[in-house]
Amino acid sequence: MSVSASKPILRIPDSVRRDVLAYRAHVEKFLTGETSAVAFRAYRVPMGIYEQRTSGHYMVRVRIGAGLATGGQLRKIAQMSTRFGNGVLHVTTRQNIQIHDVKIEQTPDVLEQLLEAGLSARGGGGNTVRNVSACPGSGFCPNERFEVAPYAIACAEHLLDDSASFNLPRKFKIAFSGCPSDCALASVADVGFFAVERDGCKGFAVYAGGGLGPNAAVGVKIEDFINGDEVFTVAEAVKHIFDAHGDRANRHKARLRYVLKRLGEKEFVELYRRQKQRLIEGGLASIASVRDIFEPFHRVLPASHAASVPLPPGVIAEKTPGLYTLPVTLNLGDLAANEMLAVADLAEKYGCGLIRTTQLQNLLISGIGAGDISAAADELRWKVQSLASQNPQIVACTGAATCKLGLCLSRGLATAIADATRDLPAVNGPAATIRISGCPNSCGHHSVAAIGFQGKAKRVNGRLMPCYDVMTGANISMGEASLADRIGTVPAKCIPGMMGQVMAKGSVDFNLLRRLIDEYGDFSVEFPEDYFRDFGSYEPFSLAGRGPGECGAGVMDVIVLDLDEAKSAAAQAARLPAGKDRDDTIYRAVLSAARALLVTFGLEPKKDREIFAEFAAHLIDPGWVVPETKDLLNRAVDYRMGDIDSLDDLLPQVDKLVERIDTLFKSLDAALKFRAEPVAAPAAANSSHSVRRIDLRGVACPLNFVKAKLELEKVAIGDVLEVLLDGGEPINNVPASFASQGQEVLATEPAGDHFRLTIRRSK
Amino acid sequence: MALSEQQIERYSRHIILDQVGGIGQEKLLASKVLIVGAGGLGAPAALYLAATGVGTLGLIDDDNVDLTNLQRQVIHHTPDVGTPKVDSAKAKIAAINPDVRVKTYPLRATAANLAAIVRQYDFVIDGTDNFGSKFLINDACWFERKPYSHAGILRFHGQLITVLPGESACYRCIFHEPPPPSAVPSCSQAGVLGVLAGVIGSLQATEAIKYLLGLGDLLTNRLLTYDALTMDFRAVKLNRNPDCALCGPDAAITELADERPPACDLKGQL
Repeated sequence: MSVSASKPILRIPDSVRRDVLAYRAHVEKFLTGETSAVAFRAYRVPMGIYEQRTSGHYMVRVRIGAGLATGGQLRKIAQMSTRFGNGVLHVTTRQNIQIHDVKIEQTPDVLEQLLEAGLSARGGGGNTVRNVSACPGSGFCPNERFEVAPYAIACAEHLLDDSASFNLPRKFKIAFSGCPSDCALASVADVGFFAVERDGCKGFAVYAGGGLGPNAAVGVKIEDFINGDEVFTVAEAVKHIFDAHGDRANRHKARLRYVLKRLGEKEFVELYRRQKQRLIEGGLASIASVRDIFEPFHRVLPASHAASVPLPPGVIAEKTPGLYTLPVTLNLGDLAANEMLAVADLAEKYGCGLIRTTQLQNLLISGIGAGDISAAADELRWKVQSLASQNPQIVACTGAATCKLGLCLSRGLATAIADATRDLPAVNGPAATIRISGCPNSCGHHSVAAIGFQGKAKRVNGRLMPCYDVMTGANISMGEASLADRIGTVPAKCIPGMMGQVMAKGSVDFNLLRRLIDEYGDFSVEFPEDYFRDFGSYEPFSLAGRGPGECGAGVMDVIVLDLDEAKSAAAQAARLPAGKDRDDTIYRAVLSAARALLVTFGLEPKKDREIFAEFAAHLIDPGWVVPETKDLLNRAVDYRMGDIDSLDDLLPQVDKLVERIDTLFKSLDAALKFRAEPVAAPAAANSSHSVRRIDLRGVACPLNFVKAKLELEKVAIGDVLEVLLDGGEPINNVPASFASQGQEVLATEPAGDHFRLTIRRSK
Repeated sequence: MALSEQQIERYSRHIILDQVGGIGQEKLLASKVLIVGAGGLGAPAALYLAATGVGTLGLIDDDNVDLTNLQRQVIHHTPDVGTPKVDSAKAKIAAINPDVRVKTYPLRATAANLAAIVRQYDFVIDGTDNFGSKFLINDACWFERKPYSHAGILRFHGQLITVLPGESACYRCIFHEPPPPSAVPSCSQAGVLGVLAGVIGSLQATEAIKYLLGLGDLLTNRLLTYDALTMDFRAVKLNRNPDCALCGPDAAITELADERPPACDLKGQL
């Protein structure tokens, strides 16, 4: 089936084209050391290029405007992945396609070649207007009020052409839904447009200030109805409010939903109206125009296709009689580059040449005639090995295996649920969608799920167990959207079996789910050892080494557990008569208080003496807690060892300690740093801020790493070490070794005939 | 204590490890491990702990090297036959690593002397071959609150557990008291596969190092059993025994003693 339209759907503005072409020079400056890693990152991330957990590997997030790509574009992406990446592509929940494992020096080639196919990653990351998403069904869905994708594309083109779109307080997400069912998740977008027809006029109801992640929120209505050509004005007006009122100082409270919360709905809407009025007076509304992007893809079917045929499972009937859409259901959004080539071929051979990316991380091949649909489905099954079961649909974030913020191994859970439900009768409808996030950041969109899981850590018998909050009851639809409620917490390891039971009869038995959650959520029972390991992991579950960052919310739960324990033990001790019980309770209060905050340093010592030692090193020595606390800890250890008989006289000190820990806890910012003032000067003698240096030129691997590491141990945590290294093996290996051990490599810069490596000691 | 250039090279493969580093190596060099019994289990433990750079090793043994020992006690060599085991072992340790200070105790561990020796060390390795000594070491470590590694080998079987007194199950939590002498096979009756000593003694050294560095999970509340014929390692889960005569709340044993009357009823056997 030949298709005239290999032309891209979204027209990349010249300004973005220039930015992309200028990128190469930035990379070169970074590689020659002229630009520092930090300065370069500020430029790189808004270009849609992220560093992966494995140091030196980068991910390129290609924007697929409105989720619409041509076969030619998919081929280009696949080719980039094979040539420069790892040959596996990933469809995201916001309809982007990611290329993984690209070397930094090759990222300019990737971006420039993508440009040839009318694709760009600009705004794929950072504090920018992200991909403008739309219903994946736009253009064929029988339910849509009208085609919204042309508006989404026009809106994206307009915003991409404005440099202000790339320097916002935080990311900014826009979505277009074609009907109240809200497949595009416009209810929870920063700006969400819903297609509405009024008096024969195409227009939109508009919601703003929604967002997933910590403190997820549903957007509030800011417009009952606007004409279709007003979308730019509305998007622009909200963007202006965000730009002016978003909290640039605290990126964790920066999203538009916090502006809305701060101002209140009334003032927010008022502000928006004034801003819109100003823009209209400035003549903005006429800037962009909407064009019929689907025109080149319209198909006229030969009569042979009119005959009705038995449809392969999962196939969707389009609004044009005789045309069908074939879903390519992916396993958590992953498919191999050669499979993506096959999808492109199928779209052009059988379909209209358009491929859609979906919010459920799948692809859709649309415009297939009735006569071809069986052949297309057969060919797809044959050529794309990684097709996933459609029942249930599982969406999961990338999880702690690759995400520095993650708590639980969400993809492992997804696989285990798929295994447990594979042979069960099909469950239809949205109830069959399971969404999993490994932490409260909601990358797996658990708060909009029929059944959602949010990873958390729970302390059971003194040890950490991977657990999930179970969320149900989300209703995502225009005007009535509500997020899922938490109905309980269960160990990760019992979820696959639980879902198998709940979905056993071809529907989701929510009553049974509740009963099972009560049963499995009883943490007073004995658990097998396996429950303390996450899926696919042979190590006991631990938060140790997890970065602070946005995982704050999960870590907070664990801190509260200890802090509550410390408070209640201290209170209980005050009521007990003198004696062993009272002394043991005091000891427990000290231990829990000492343990509470260690997790914010990425530490999770298990033994009492280690807890006390780490507490001394991280809270007493730096001056967060009064130095006298060391005596208290020593006494506690003596008591534990039986060297002294009583802790009776220490209770006032213990109360003070617990109070101080509580103060520090309450002062934690979103990056898990204390905002409270220290109470003592740091004990470390090493207070001079001169940068430590070591010259390891002429020292071979691995002894250079050994020596550099010994030197790094001498600088304080948070301070910096400079290392001079030879080129070749040393500069290739030493920075990577440090990065793999969790130290922060700030820069590797050439300096004459050798290199200068700058490392910050992060633990 | 800064590492010398030679030490940096010697211990470089430790220092590279994220979990050890220079700090960990310095900890090891400042640590003291007591090995009771310089025989089959003590030999590999001593060799590896010496190579590891544990700064002080104590060796208790009152025996001389015998030709029948050489099949498994790899720290002793043919020319050493007839010399005290502690001297033979000390010489090998010095040859492996001059950083290590060796304190030798050419005596039999008894209730009268053991506690005072144990007190000077951070970790104890039980490399003895008889029940009396094993209970004595367990009890001494309890009274001195010293962590220790218990192990035993016979024929093709080995077993191992690490005890953190007061925190995890002790030997007496599990076995209560020595079996009557008639129930105990002597080595000449039973025999032992020589290499078994190397496997189990090396595991004991591993536990010592993990404890000294605060790494990983110790083999506490788990008795590891090893069958060389089937190559099965099994960890049997155990808990502290609330009725333990030594470390339980109503402990009957209040001081270190060499011998105890044999069991005569089922008390404490629930």
